[in-house]
Amino acid sequence: MEQSTSLSAAQRAKIRRLVAPREISPDEEGGELNIIPFLDIITNILIFVLATIAVTFTATINTTPPSSGGKGVRKDIQSMALNLTILIVNDGFSIKAAGGNVAPGCTGPGVGIAIPKRGGQYDYEALNACGSKLKSASPDFADENQFYVTANPGTDYQTIVSVIDALRVDMRDKSKTLFTDVAFKVPL
Amino acid sequence: MSSTTPGSPASAPIPKFKAELRKAVRRNAAEHEVNFLNITAMLDIMTIILVFLLKSLGESSASVPQNDDLRLPKSIVQSQPSEEGVVVTVSKSQILVGDKKVLDLPGRESLAQTGVGAQEKRSGPNDVYIVKLGNALQAARKTDRRVREAKGLDASTSEAIIVADATSPYRLLIEVLFTLGQNEFGKYHMMVMQGKEIPR
Repeated sequence: MEQSTSLSAAQRAKIRRLVAPREISPDEEGGELNIIPFLDIITNILIFVLATIAVTFTATINTTPPSSGGKGVRKDIQSMALNLTILIVNDGFSIKAAGGNVAPGCTGPGVGIAIPKRGGQYDYEALNACGSKLKSASPDFADENQFYVTANPGTDYQTIVSVIDALRVDMRDKSKTLFTDVAFKVPL
Repeated sequence: MSSTTPGSPASAPIPKFKAELRKAVRRNAAEHEVNFLNITAMLDIMTIILVFLLKSLGESSASVPQNDDLRLPKSIVQSQPSEEGVVVTVSKSQILVGDKKVLDLPGRESLAQTGVGAQEKRSGPNDVYIVKLGNALQAARKTDRRVREAKGLDASTSEAIIVADATSPYRLLIEVLFTLGQNEFGKYHMMVMQGKEIPR
């Protein structure tokens, strides 16, 4: 009875033969390109690129071609215009407006450097305050958003950009826009 | 019909043989089961992302390489960078229109006094028109005019993106802007890096 339920050697051999994994024939082997090593490399490059990208946020300041001697591209401005011009010199900011040259301290018309350097550095806060004061001097200047910049030939680009920034909005009241459009003058 | 394997009197019955065969098949199948994570699909996606990133970074004019020769000025302006226009790059050592080098620049002291130099000007040291830059811009303007006409934009003037080093002297900047203006470039976008406060 016991003998009739156990498998014979031939049956066991047949089972082994039937369940053995099928050998892959040479023509079946290598039918698909193994791209995993390549993808591993790509993954490493991806991680490297993502880790080394310097996240810098850029912006642009819009302007028009520079003018020479008061001529050039300029928006239509009424006759009662402020015509603000900032001259960047080695000692500070000289400011010219409708009433002529602005006196030191931005106190009114007069000769001299309107905003002298403070501690050897350009005083952007004082420039902002002066710009705000000049713009609010008359209701006629309320819609005027353009100003001129000119500078000593050696003035660096960063200082020019900082002056444009300083006159963009009132630092004490950020909702108050001062001068958003800038035009350059060719130094004579 | 015999219930054993033919030719083997001591063999188990066929149902028993089949049951053993099924068991063996199941056991063998379990042994060959793939027991590792298949990440090929994920890697496919990452490859596509990598290609997309590299392509978009390379084509964007907002991606400016920052190095010792070219470092953008910082500004508090928050506007989106304009990507319309011919890119004019002014580094410490050279001027480029697009990717093409136009001019090598002298030292900063010389730049601050006479700009790019009298030999590069139209009529002497006091002129502010740079001839080589002007020639390159004329060619760029022709191409840009055709592009603008094809796009249905105003082709009467072109736009330029100025990418200049923060230490560039005003004299050089004016010469570049003036030369652009003389070649029918009517609007400029000066590229800056966004910052939180006005740098000293």
